[in-house]
Amino acid sequence: MADRVRSLTDVLLSVESISLSFGGVKALTDISFDIKKGEIRAIIGPNGAGKSSLLNCINGFYHPQEGAITYKGQRRSRMRPHEAAEQGIARTFQNIALFRGMSTLDNIMTGRNLAMRTGLFWQALRLGPAEREEIDHRKAVERIIDFLEIQHIRKVPVGQLPYGLQKRVELGRALAAEPELLLLDEPMAGMNLEEKEDMCRFVLDVNDEFGTTICLIEHDMGVVMDISDRLVVLDYGKKIGDGPPEAVKHDKAVIDAYLGVSH
Amino acid sequence: MGFFLEVLIGGLLAGVLYSLVALGFVLIFKASGVFNFAQGAMVLTAALALVRALDVFEQWHWPFAVALLSAFVFAAVIMAIIAWAAERLVLRKLVNQEGIILFMATIGVTFFLEGLSQSLFGADVYPLNVGLPKDPVFLLESLFDGGILVNELDIWAAVIAGLLVAGLALFFQRTRIGRALRAVADDHAAAQSVGIPLNQIWFIVWLVAGLVALVAGTVWGSKLGVQFSLSLLALKALPVLILGGFTSVPGAIIGGLIIGAGEKLAEVFLGPSMGGGIEIWFAYVLALLFLLVRPQGLFGERIIERV
Amino acid sequence: MTTAGSSHGSEALDTFPKMLAARARAGGDRPAYREKEFGIWQTYSWAHVASEVERLAAGLVVLGFSRGDRLIVVGDNRPRLYWAICAAQSLGGVPVPVYQDSVAEELAYVVEHAGARFAIAENQEQIDKLLEIRKSAPALSVLIYDDPRGLRHYEGLLSYSEVQERGTKLLAGRPESVAAEAAKGCGADDAIILYTSGTTGRPKGAVLSYDNLVWAARAGAHFDGLREGDELLSYLPMAWVGDHIFSYAQGYVVGLVVNCPESATTVMNDLREIGPTYYFAPPRVLENLITQVTIRMEDAGLVKRKLFQIFVGLARRIGPALLDGKKVSLADRLLYRLGDLLVYGPLKNSLGMSRVRVAYTAGEAVGSEIFSFYRALGINMKQLYGQTEASVFVTIHPNGEVYSDTVGKPVSDVELRIGSSGEVLYRSPGVFKEYFKNPEATNDTKTADGWVHTGDAGYLDERGHLRIIDRARDVGKLNDGTLFAPKFIENKLKFFSHINEAVVFGQGRDFVAAFVNIDITAVGDWAERRNIAYASYQELAGRPEVYDLIQGEIERVNRDLANDPRMAGAQIRRFLVLHKALDADDGELTRTNKVRRGFIGERYKPLVEALYDGSRSAHMKVGVTFEDGRKGTIEGTVQIRDLAPLPAAPLKKAS
Repeated sequence: MADRVRSLTDVLLSVESISLSFGGVKALTDISFDIKKGEIRAIIGPNGAGKSSLLNCINGFYHPQEGAITYKGQRRSRMRPHEAAEQGIARTFQNIALFRGMSTLDNIMTGRNLAMRTGLFWQALRLGPAEREEIDHRKAVERIIDFLEIQHIRKVPVGQLPYGLQKRVELGRALAAEPELLLLDEPMAGMNLEEKEDMCRFVLDVNDEFGTTICLIEHDMGVVMDISDRLVVLDYGKKIGDGPPEAVKHDKAVIDAYLGVSH
Repeated sequence: MGFFLEVLIGGLLAGVLYSLVALGFVLIFKASGVFNFAQGAMVLTAALALVRALDVFEQWHWPFAVALLSAFVFAAVIMAIIAWAAERLVLRKLVNQEGIILFMATIGVTFFLEGLSQSLFGADVYPLNVGLPKDPVFLLESLFDGGILVNELDIWAAVIAGLLVAGLALFFQRTRIGRALRAVADDHAAAQSVGIPLNQIWFIVWLVAGLVALVAGTVWGSKLGVQFSLSLLALKALPVLILGGFTSVPGAIIGGLIIGAGEKLAEVFLGPSMGGGIEIWFAYVLALLFLLVRPQGLFGERIIERV
Repeated sequence: MTTAGSSHGSEALDTFPKMLAARARAGGDRPAYREKEFGIWQTYSWAHVASEVERLAAGLVVLGFSRGDRLIVVGDNRPRLYWAICAAQSLGGVPVPVYQDSVAEELAYVVEHAGARFAIAENQEQIDKLLEIRKSAPALSVLIYDDPRGLRHYEGLLSYSEVQERGTKLLAGRPESVAAEAAKGCGADDAIILYTSGTTGRPKGAVLSYDNLVWAARAGAHFDGLREGDELLSYLPMAWVGDHIFSYAQGYVVGLVVNCPESATTVMNDLREIGPTYYFAPPRVLENLITQVTIRMEDAGLVKRKLFQIFVGLARRIGPALLDGKKVSLADRLLYRLGDLLVYGPLKNSLGMSRVRVAYTAGEAVGSEIFSFYRALGINMKQLYGQTEASVFVTIHPNGEVYSDTVGKPVSDVELRIGSSGEVLYRSPGVFKEYFKNPEATNDTKTADGWVHTGDAGYLDERGHLRIIDRARDVGKLNDGTLFAPKFIENKLKFFSHINEAVVFGQGRDFVAAFVNIDITAVGDWAERRNIAYASYQELAGRPEVYDLIQGEIERVNRDLANDPRMAGAQIRRFLVLHKALDADDGELTRTNKVRRGFIGERYKPLVEALYDGSRSAHMKVGVTFEDGRKGTIEGTVQIRDLAPLPAAPLKKAS
């Protein structure tokens, strides 16, 4: 993607020496890094390196015992997940977390939750402002459905969909919130090559068309090198590398830890 | 024929009342996966709060309508406080625990509520009169000799239950909060990630369940008087749920109707040959049979396991 | 080559741009096209279409598009692409639609051969291919795209709406700039070039004139009584002559409403929502639909399943007779009514065929089981026989004369003749002008007096219906002189839902042997029901249970063949189930999914030899192209089974 031109200067989120432990077991130790507006930032590292924990800290599922996270210039303490969502952080999960009983459409509609504001009474009757609002949201959702090419499964309960499509619906739900920062926890895990390429294209297109900042965890090094602007490398809860793919690829510590070179 | 219909209709109407209690269970189970054993105690508490407040307001010589309305508001506030406390003091602390642990916690809530409500409001049997007519009426007199004897109160109960279910259906299917509730029921973490505040949702669910308990308490209280045995209704709701499925609102209704009609018919038509008393155990045996044949209930989510 | 129409334009409605102008003038608010966008069907009126076409054409003028220029059109069926065809024709240009799933080399061949300077593509996928081609074919100077998705950072492209904006500006100053050009066109002009994906060699570009297309559109519409406002769903490739006639030519000539599906994957849904009155489906699609229905029914509850079986049985017995207007007893009529209420109606509705008045299938022989299933439900399904070179129509089943073993009677003005070798020849006003820049091929196919060689062997039966046996050059003989018609046998095999493709060998051999490709959906479902575990296509194909299943079906085909004394000697004696699905990307199928027998014979030579040298199994490694274009290999040992031939039935008198 040589033709992706951008100026990455504004910091959207910065993580300042956070540490997280669960009952004495250290999951993250003194991690600092930042995510710049408009970039695709990847977090990589071997299993158990603390990647998901880091993502969970950013979106408020976990609260680090030490350090702070600054988002859009605001230092925040103990933010809860729904508050993170309100501030424009959306995410997907490593093990798909969809509303299995609902259709694709309803799942993505739920992603619009924060944008919906009319009163209960109007909503129940689908009258007046509620009807207009429902139509507006439906339009936004249809645009996402079109974008992700999932028109054919609009009305299908997501529980019946194959894995790759579920991942796509989950991405759709996250996009429905029109997030500023999108966290993707292994968006391509368990996919075959073709599905992976589709997903890569969607991630790049999201970044490109909507200007969404993306922070993703991914195992497939090829994918990571291809699509991310900068990488953070974790190992045993510590940061061992940070920088553009080319630099990280040649970093000795990273090669040793990640590519499993024996010492 | 007329007699059969009379028994059947009587049973169905009684079933409506079971459904009302079962509904509260379903709501909480759907939204939080918790089997709320305290639902019976909530019915008792709501009914006690209502009847005692009504007594007090009437002693103050408030006009009946005002007194009744105020008493309902008072009882609703009590249910809201219970919902808030349950979320704040119990659920929030036990988030992500096993279902059985939450179930045990609701048993604790049950005893606490039973004790607290009776010490606050007294433990006597209080007759409740909210203005629902209680006269027996005869239906279809032109068709059957003597017509069918039905208690007017039961008919009102059915009407109220119908309205309640319609309201709940609208609430669940068509509102943003309803969609949020369904989302929470499906996946907690995902719901949070799209900006649904879990704590608020749980509060709302318990509040709704509390209001359903208030309605159930009002109807049962009008019929039997407000007394401790209301709390035991929870036990009757169990077979209803097994029949209807733990996650289905229509299931709770149909299950209630089947149990209600079934036990009355069994009592009247099988009772004489089996020595009577069938009504007491019929529901449980039916539920047991159902567990063997269709464990997910009539309307429960189908359990699909492919080998 | 191109006829310069500038000198002899006429007032007659002999070209599509002229028809469009007329339709926009009279009844311009009637619906012409529909497409589903963001979940909602948008309708475009004839007046709207005329304006869109004019602005696009004017934009093309600004870009230097002139009379005789070819315009490549590539993408899924989208109204804007259909309009682009008309825009090019308005200027006296010749549109060249290309199959959207062509790989870059195939597309490159067409672009270069057609000498096109202009191309309109639906989206990034097609633009990427065209950009690749432009590197080696610099003549291709103007690339226009419809969907901007993913193209933001591309350079040197124009969007459809940009071109139209330029056109709007031109029209503001010179309002007649397009209309004047359109008026110069006439019926004898080249209207379109359709490249045919022949079973051998390079594609050939059949040049069809307006006269060809307008005749075909009228003849077909007249044959089956199409009316203005009839609806159809355009879901087959725009580069295929059938779609060009049904969705384009007949759209203008008859005034059909052309509905474009939301995406290739939503066709079934769109079909249900639109409920077309005019429908075309290749046999493959008809077969898939039945497979899906069957699977759904096997999953259904007992009552539903029984009901389905009983009423479909009834329908198969009396449905076709009812449709043909023959006598049926009152009791049966009433039962059929009941069936319609309970089964056929809902089923037709879910297939999107409730309103269908005329449905065609063609392209390959269709199984009589499959064909009669639709007729049994009361859907007026017919076969037609046609070719690109004929502007489609050669023969069609007339109403009341539908036989699954024939392809119908000649359409009016079509003459038929059987050549000395048994080959079918035809002559009609729809016969193509020439193959573009290929006089040699034109002369091979079309005689000086206008007869076209179909390449198909067939005969006219006593009812005056045409019967097609096989490709003329494929009909051969076994070593003992027995008639060997491979496609005939392959089609018999393919009528089983478990068999997706079959390739039989026998020319110059002692006996007939077959390759079978299983249908992964149907066999996968079958296996799941029997708890047969498999991890891949290859593993499933090699399971002995699957072999047993396929063997049973081949034995039924053999029984069938044994019943025909001419064919009894051509029973299948040995077979194997291929470990790889035959695929157009590997060149094993044509783009229209016909097997390329010769190519397959070469590619799988070790397996073919094993079939004839008595081996019980054979090992083979074969290349495969994945959907994303990567190459890989599949390797494995394939079992071979022997079958005992059945005795031939005695020759019946006068049969």
